[in-house]
Amino acid sequence: MRVYSYNRQRIKCILIIVCLAVMMVAGRLTYIMIFRGEYYSERATSLHERERSIKAPRGRIYDRNGNVLADNKAVCSVSVIHSQIEDEDEVIDLLTGYIDKDPAEIEKKVRKNSSRELIASNVDKETGQKIKAAALPGVKVDEDYKRNYPYDTLASKVLGFTGGDNQGILGLEVKYDDYLTGENGSINAVTDAKGIELVSYSESRTDPVPGKDLVTTLDINIQRYVTQAAYKVLEEKKANRVCAITMNPKTGEIYAMADVPEYNLNDPFTLVSGYDASSDDDTEETEDSADGQADSLGETNETAALPAISQMDELNNMWRNYLISDTYEPGSTAKIITLTAALEKGAVSRSDSFYCPGYRLVEDRRIRCSKTTGHGSQTLEQALMNSCNPAFMDIGERAGVDAMYEYYGKLGLFSQSGIDLPGEANSIMHAKENVGPVELATMSFGQSFQVTPIQFVSAIAAVINGGYRITPHIGMEIVDSENGYIQALEFESGEQAISAETSKEMRSMLESVVADGSGKNGGIEGYRIGGKTATSEKLPRGNGRYISSYVGFAPADDPVVMTLLLIDEPEGTYYGGMVAAPVVRDIFLNILPYLGIDKDTNAY
Amino acid sequence: MSGNPEVSEDRISKTQRRRGSYVDVTMMIVLILILILGLAMIYSTSSYRAIDLYDDSMYFTRRQAVYMLAALAAMWCVSNVDYRYLLSFSKIILLSSMALQILVLVIGTASHGSARWIYIGPIGFQPSEYAKTAIIIYTAAQAAMHSRELAHAGRLVRIMILPVLDIVLIGVENLSTAIICFSVLFAVLFAASPKVRHFVTLGVFGVVGCVLFILFAGYRANRVKIWLAPEQYADGYQTVQSLYAVGSGGVFGLGFGNSVQKKGFIPESHNDMIFSVICEELGIVGAVFILVLFVLLIYRLAIIAMNARDRFGSLMVTGVMTHIAVQFLINACVVTNTIPPTGVPMPFISYGGSSIIFILMEMGIVMSVARDTSIVK
Repeated sequence: MRVYSYNRQRIKCILIIVCLAVMMVAGRLTYIMIFRGEYYSERATSLHERERSIKAPRGRIYDRNGNVLADNKAVCSVSVIHSQIEDEDEVIDLLTGYIDKDPAEIEKKVRKNSSRELIASNVDKETGQKIKAAALPGVKVDEDYKRNYPYDTLASKVLGFTGGDNQGILGLEVKYDDYLTGENGSINAVTDAKGIELVSYSESRTDPVPGKDLVTTLDINIQRYVTQAAYKVLEEKKANRVCAITMNPKTGEIYAMADVPEYNLNDPFTLVSGYDASSDDDTEETEDSADGQADSLGETNETAALPAISQMDELNNMWRNYLISDTYEPGSTAKIITLTAALEKGAVSRSDSFYCPGYRLVEDRRIRCSKTTGHGSQTLEQALMNSCNPAFMDIGERAGVDAMYEYYGKLGLFSQSGIDLPGEANSIMHAKENVGPVELATMSFGQSFQVTPIQFVSAIAAVINGGYRITPHIGMEIVDSENGYIQALEFESGEQAISAETSKEMRSMLESVVADGSGKNGGIEGYRIGGKTATSEKLPRGNGRYISSYVGFAPADDPVVMTLLLIDEPEGTYYGGMVAAPVVRDIFLNILPYLGIDKDTNAY
Repeated sequence: MSGNPEVSEDRISKTQRRRGSYVDVTMMIVLILILILGLAMIYSTSSYRAIDLYDDSMYFTRRQAVYMLAALAAMWCVSNVDYRYLLSFSKIILLSSMALQILVLVIGTASHGSARWIYIGPIGFQPSEYAKTAIIIYTAAQAAMHSRELAHAGRLVRIMILPVLDIVLIGVENLSTAIICFSVLFAVLFAASPKVRHFVTLGVFGVVGCVLFILFAGYRANRVKIWLAPEQYADGYQTVQSLYAVGSGGVFGLGFGNSVQKKGFIPESHNDMIFSVICEELGIVGAVFILVLFVLLIYRLAIIAMNARDRFGSLMVTGVMTHIAVQFLINACVVTNTIPPTGVPMPFISYGGSSIIFILMEMGIVMSVARDTSIVK
């Protein structure tokens, strides 16, 4: 039975086949372990690792002087991991003892067979630590942050608030969300197939990166003065709302922006009285009455049919920032624009005189002046001081449609102001080719077109600051306190819209308006203040619903602060010069000394 | 090569035997290394489950160590017995294997969905492990005795009848073992036969038959689908977990004992899937080390087979070599999802008493054959 040589060859053959097969297996192993290794190990890691996130604190919001407008409160979120619970009843007893929630619901969540169930978030830190100290298996307490607004309602419509994941929802919180949001860190713990953390395996930790801080141009003192003044007149005049913006006309830095009633940022889902469904009207369209005098331009047949407003609509209305999201007819304050256009074009000069018989005929219409007996003969300056409609119809006519539209454009009334807040609306203007003599006449005194208050205040700023455009803004700089660098926020500014001479002339005439004209209630002894009043009748006309407004600035020769104030539907006296101008006067009385404007020299 | 004159082609006179004393040192070292590594990996893979089930991390390791010692003792005994005795028992061995195979089908305890175990008291026994050894001995004996006649198809078929019947009995419940047995049968006859042509035909039929059977036999068709896209099927869980483990290994692995996949992700990772954890913990370096050990072992077996004193010994060693190689390859291919999933233990390494005892007894036969060789490197 000897072994033949062919037997040996066959055995060698089998050996070779086996070796080839082993090499194939080695190749396959190399493919899986080296070339596909990353794929499989990532898959495996994601299977093994249970991520616990470490929340990153959101960046704070400061006013210009370093006062905190928004910060974070450390809170805890409590959750249970069903598979790790040893004694359900014990866990339920513990949680119902500490957490102020329906015990039945807690019990249901504890007994629910899910991988992780959130019991409660925003549990205050001490409670969270007590629950953690009980150290029951399956109960997880994670640190979290809740946004906190130390001044509750102050500048609520500017700051906005955040949602459940601390993401910005409204206002600056959403506009600067990318900066304010930090990067959550995480602890990746390795677990076995049952989800139990394996202590011996190293956990990888990614530290959270806190959000960057936002420093705003707001000044809480000015914001407070403005808000208080707005609330005062809101109550006195039982108005719908009062809103005001205080800004540096040279830079566009907004010191204060109030739209009262404000809401509580720490409790933004509770309706504030004054925002009931019944009290709000459609403020989209208003009608100017040329300082109290309604004309009869029946351009709209408003049927103010209000739909049943749901809770959400009411909330949205409460959160809405009128100054940027709504439009109104600027009324007589728009005479500033008309006059600027006419002066720039050389269509009028200061030596021109105008005659007011109490009305003016435009085509077949008779458009009346606020003073029905007429202002008689008046200089250009007097026409502005008197806020005389017929004179301004003349001025508008002399300037012409092209010049008017050119300067609306140059002063930014056709485009959004570019303010760093979300939800900005745009103006509503006639198409230029549709502007006939009647439209031109009414536009000359601020009627039959609508602008947002923020657009308008930006336009006036350009008129009085020496003639250049500014972008109104609230963000000043982004501060990365982790890395210690500051990034100044840049806004477009400096484009010359009108000549410095025209600007100077406008300032001086507007100073006269306050010194001895329709705006004299805005004047303060010892200060040089410029301004212009307006009273716009809301649409539909004839219902006695008005917006009284006033725009004032100081010092008149070199303005460093300006305020536009609107009172929506004041009761009783509604003339802008009577109700709005005194409020701005009060504000200036407080903030001019605060801003360091010297009373005698008016030097800044 | 022994220079003993052959008395007969078919009979060996017992008086002529003069036992040699050759020990293949390389093979023994490789075998011991594989066994030590296997036991260490059983500890690494089973301790988590052992703690979970018995609160004793050594539970499975200790049992396996006992099996291994028993198996080594059996190996030593067998190696000291003259393998030629087996010649006269070969038919009885195969018939007993068939009887056990029938028995397991009738009374076998279902484990993993297939009836593969017979329990005698607390001791479980897998007849299919015995069957592999039985088929090696029987086929080698028949092929050795009728070597010249293997050129005739009639003789070939006659030799194959009993083993094939046994294989069919195994295949009812355990296709992978049937494939291993068939490979052994095929390899032994291939090595013995003076003509190759039959084997090409037989091989083609065998492969085609296997493929058709896999594709069309009910639950096995599912396995093909799982094999092609394991992540898309719930039943592909084991395969996917195995791939995760293998892929996580990288070059140097996570380190001995550091597998995460063994922590409940791969069910019973100390059994058939142990190689995946070896890859995960020891990396491609460790995996290739295992491959090299097995290739070395198989190489030594081939050398012994080629230098055996007689054809019976040579063919038995060829059968053992094929058994170890095919079982190792199938296991490695399943772990790497190179072939559809099937439960085959890794020889010497996977946990399991029957497996280690029979395979070490086969090694004992090899050692017995080796004694009579005089291999000079």
